[in-house]
Amino acid sequence: MEEQNLQSIIEELWPKLKKKHLYPEIPIPKVREIPEQEKGGPEEDEDVGLEMKQKQLTINGAFVSQMKDKMSGKRVVEALLDHGITHYTFCPWDFHTHLRLYAAAKKVVGDKELAKQVSNHFIDVIADTHCVKKRFTEIPELHRNLKKGTVEEVIAFLYQKIWGMDLGIQPSKMGVKGHTDIVRRLARIPYLDRSRWGESIQKFARTLKPLLIEEQKEQGAQGGKGERNPQGEHDLNHYSSEEIDQGLRDYARQTLALSEFKDVVEDFSDELRGAGYGTEGGMGRGQGNPIDADVLFYMKLAQNYSIPIKKFPLEEKGSLHPHSHCPWEIGAPFQDVDIWTSFGKIMPGITQIWTKREGKGRGKIEGTPDCLIVIDSSGSMINPRKSLSYAVLGAACATNAYLHHDSKVAVYNFSDAPMGGKNILNYTDRREDIYRVLCKYFGGGTALDLEDLVPLIQGKTKLDLFIITDMKITNLEALIGFFGQIQNRVTAVHIGDNPYAARFEKAVERRKNISIYTVKRTEDIPQIVLGRIRDYFNPNRTKKS
Amino acid sequence: MKSSAPPYKNSIPPPNKENWVTKNPFAEFKTFTTSTPDLPMDQIVQSTEAVMDRIRWGYEKLLEEEAKELVWMVQYNTIIKAYEVAEKYVKELHYTAEDIEDFCFALENTQRIPYLIPGPAGIYISALCNYAKEEEIVLKLSELKTEINLVGFRLPKGKRLMIEGDTGDFTGIGLEGGELVVDGNAKNWTGAGMRGGKILIKKNIGLHTGEWMMGGEIYVGGRVRGLGNIVEGKVYEREKLLYPGKVRYPNVYY
Repeated sequence: MEEQNLQSIIEELWPKLKKKHLYPEIPIPKVREIPEQEKGGPEEDEDVGLEMKQKQLTINGAFVSQMKDKMSGKRVVEALLDHGITHYTFCPWDFHTHLRLYAAAKKVVGDKELAKQVSNHFIDVIADTHCVKKRFTEIPELHRNLKKGTVEEVIAFLYQKIWGMDLGIQPSKMGVKGHTDIVRRLARIPYLDRSRWGESIQKFARTLKPLLIEEQKEQGAQGGKGERNPQGEHDLNHYSSEEIDQGLRDYARQTLALSEFKDVVEDFSDELRGAGYGTEGGMGRGQGNPIDADVLFYMKLAQNYSIPIKKFPLEEKGSLHPHSHCPWEIGAPFQDVDIWTSFGKIMPGITQIWTKREGKGRGKIEGTPDCLIVIDSSGSMINPRKSLSYAVLGAACATNAYLHHDSKVAVYNFSDAPMGGKNILNYTDRREDIYRVLCKYFGGGTALDLEDLVPLIQGKTKLDLFIITDMKITNLEALIGFFGQIQNRVTAVHIGDNPYAARFEKAVERRKNISIYTVKRTEDIPQIVLGRIRDYFNPNRTKKS
Repeated sequence: MKSSAPPYKNSIPPPNKENWVTKNPFAEFKTFTTSTPDLPMDQIVQSTEAVMDRIRWGYEKLLEEEAKELVWMVQYNTIIKAYEVAEKYVKELHYTAEDIEDFCFALENTQRIPYLIPGPAGIYISALCNYAKEEEIVLKLSELKTEINLVGFRLPKGKRLMIEGDTGDFTGIGLEGGELVVDGNAKNWTGAGMRGGKILIKKNIGLHTGEWMMGGEIYVGGRVRGLGNIVEGKVYEREKLLYPGKVRYPNVYY
């Protein structure tokens, strides 16, 4: 079919479709251009009618042409667009829902490919049923004329049963194959009840699993890939990078289960890498490094929490002021000439200029200092790569807060530091490097080597410290003594209550620059205020008291 | 100078105010009708839900009466009594085999059914199977995480219950002539006290198999972990007659 003709059909249909679907924010669909070399020869990909990429629907002209004997081009286009739009307006709606459905299906079928197939079929059934129920659509006619494999035939039979329309499937034929039983079970699922999609897809997967396994075996025996979905594939191309970011964030927050998140991310790793994940940035844009699902989990989960930082008045920020005179020389700037002591003359030896110096007064501009994060990864702490660690999550939230204010973060991850159980990262703003060190787990004894901290603190006049631990530290007294000496703002977070934490709290209760927080649940994390000082920090006043 | 008229209020009415017609800003949508036809799916889902609600209600009643403290001990009397209560509620229901299967999975959904107590749940499922209209019932439970106890209790003659997946303890006890097929493993006390009928376990079976069985046959496709004190009946292991026979003693582990 002529591309221009198809485009004009789309332009004619689009206002009607937009109105029908209550004006979705979707750009006008396009027609897929057929490359020059393909035009003469047999057309490829004519089995897929619709492509969806970042809200852009693209109609495949070859598919419409192929269908022209059975349906008019206009009706095919309308059916395809109805289907495509419904994916954006009803199911799956967003990437988070897509992930949730996939994860639920994976729990039942246990295989990545099968789970993807199940979730794709489920999403299609919902989208088409929603269209048939709510809008006048050509979708049933399209299904009547589509080429069908075994699974597609069963699904068409299901449509026949739940829509009450004849789609050309003979019930007797289904009975012979033993598929009536499957369809009877599938028909009981409340497809349009969004709140029950989780359990519905599990039932859908349970019922369809034997059929899909059978089909997979047949395809394996034939050595080929399965037939492609004529209504368009459901992959991550649907979603923009921002939607993927948001989806991962929501999924991490809702599951709060590292293993589930990891499973899903690893299953979609190829697609995620294609979408740019895997390196620094978001977890990152660009190709290259493999995706570290654990790091990505904490990164996405931490983005759901926002911890405030108390800003700090930066000192030695006074403006330049005239301080003393020096003789003017030829070539020196005129603007600094002091006309009063130069007697109004520009003459070397007589003319004097002002020498300027920086003022000593405290500036009014507030800023955020760099931060040293001290994190405990001893045996008494949870392994962040096995289950959700509040310590890593808390440290990740603190990291985000400091990096957000353009400060740098150093990490001291310790277990039995004097025996080498430590990992030190110098001040950096590379988020992924920081997260990798935070996620490192030693699992041994707990002792701090304070000498390790000295180089990280030395030379840094303004520096915040953030320590997160269960306080079960062998040399806790040494740590208390260390905190007793420093004037930096310290945010100490202890995971759970224990006598060691109580001891620490008691010892530093008089120190106004040390704030202590307890984290027992994720909800406690937003309560943390970084760099809080109970009374305004004034070194002179502290000395007097 | 102060004005007597209130600010921003136009005291002069527009000349043709009485001719004003209220305009509907949504007039454009007047022609647009959202036809929501009733699909057969609505009817199917609605009736399924209604049946499921009644099945759930019956189960909750059974728990209220028989497991008040959410504790239920497996004893001869408690089983009989619980079954009588289950029968009372189940008799009034109209349901299909798929409803029973859905109920089994709903038991694992804590939002819908707060308490899964394997004993009463198994008795209730047995009562549902025994009073179902279908003669042959297939329950596809291979994806069920919980192994339900007491399935197939008192399965009457003429009924065939086929379970895909594993079952728990006391499978097919008190069988009354029906045929129970388990396409998976069964645990201990399978077929205890059965009076007649046939139990086929396609994989392995646990201890005390056929304890006090008075008749019928138990076929095991895999291995029998231990036999109980059998009064009468036959037990086969991989098509080989195990009881009556001379080689096995009650609960010999092999």
